[in-house]
Amino acid sequence: MFSSLGNLQPRQLAAQVLNFALVLSTAFMLWKGLSVFTNSSSPIVVVLSGSMEPAFQRGDLLFLWNRGQETQVGEIVVYNVRGKDIPIVHRVIRRFGGGSAPLQLLTKGDNNAADDTELYARGQSYLDRSKDVIGSVVGYVPFVGYVTILLSEYPWLKTAMLVFMALTVVLQRE
Amino acid sequence: MSASKISCYSLPDLHNTTNDALPNYLTSLKFTQSHSSSNIRLAIGYAAVLISAATFYFDWTLGFEKTKYWTGAAVAVYFALNGAFTWWYLLGDEGLVFEGTREGRKLKLLTHTKPHTPTYFLRAQYTASPSKNSAPPTYQDLKLEIPYTRFFTADGHFVAKPFQQWLASAVPIVGDADPNNVVEEIGRGSDEGAETVKASALEAVMSGMMEQAGGMTDRASGGKRRKKA
Repeated sequence: MFSSLGNLQPRQLAAQVLNFALVLSTAFMLWKGLSVFTNSSSPIVVVLSGSMEPAFQRGDLLFLWNRGQETQVGEIVVYNVRGKDIPIVHRVIRRFGGGSAPLQLLTKGDNNAADDTELYARGQSYLDRSKDVIGSVVGYVPFVGYVTILLSEYPWLKTAMLVFMALTVVLQRE
Repeated sequence: MSASKISCYSLPDLHNTTNDALPNYLTSLKFTQSHSSSNIRLAIGYAAVLISAATFYFDWTLGFEKTKYWTGAAVAVYFALNGAFTWWYLLGDEGLVFEGTREGRKLKLLTHTKPHTPTYFLRAQYTASPSKNSAPPTYQDLKLEIPYTRFFTADGHFVAKPFQQWLASAVPIVGDADPNNVVEEIGRGSDEGAETVKASALEAVMSGMMEQAGGMTDRASGGKRRKKA
């Protein structure tokens, strides 16, 4: 299998490696492009818990939009708890401020008994729309996000997938 | 003769083996190969990859909010670069296997495949031989095809001789560089093999005839002769 690589001239080898590098960088640039377009640092997220059932199940893929600053009660937003990198998907149940004052939100999971005050960082009792919220949900695809959950729970899967992709692209000469 | 064996049913293998043999043959005829097309493609491609890597690095270290506008610009430049270079490549250089010059005349060879068709398609663009009058030589564009069976053995070996003969006979500028290979009908293997077969067949016939003649006049030495034969 690797003998075909040995027979290549340096330029051809550089071209094969470039193919793989372009696959990775195009995927990354598409992601970044979507990120800038939606103004969200993470425009596509996966639902990790069952706190929004029956609306969203674990493994659903959510599409976010972050250019609407006047978030209303009843919208579903994704936010990061200050200091943690875990996105939480919950519904807005109260809002304070808005207009010229900074907008503050209180959220609660549909399937949770209590609101999110317990989840916020110590001393924080509301979310700041401009700082904490990554975006509001504008669409979703069920179940597809399970791959991401698998990849984060079994990190060796990520390496294995990358190595497999690299071999396939670099050795292919069709 | 190629040392490695390929599957003669696999079109990509046939196509790639033939393409790999082309530059070797032409450079042996003193064509100076020009790598400018490859070099430009590699340069633009790796520049785009570098832009992407830099974007990744700054986004990773500085966060999304700070780098938003630079990221937006980088994405636009990346897709503009990629788009431009893909379009330029598709326009003139798709399927390029060889580009070079010899004695001031240019040659450009491009190939392509049709799905499930075991035929080698070659497009040759070259400067015609200088004409008798002082008009500048024209640029010719020739489209050729030949089944792979003419220069691959049944068990998957590439045979260089008939391929070289075909190329020299079909493309005049190659024929000018390699007149020995310009033939009416391309051979089915090495020339040496054909001659040996012919010679040994002739020898067998002649010795058979001599034996018959010798047997009628000299019965005593017939046995000796038979042992020799």
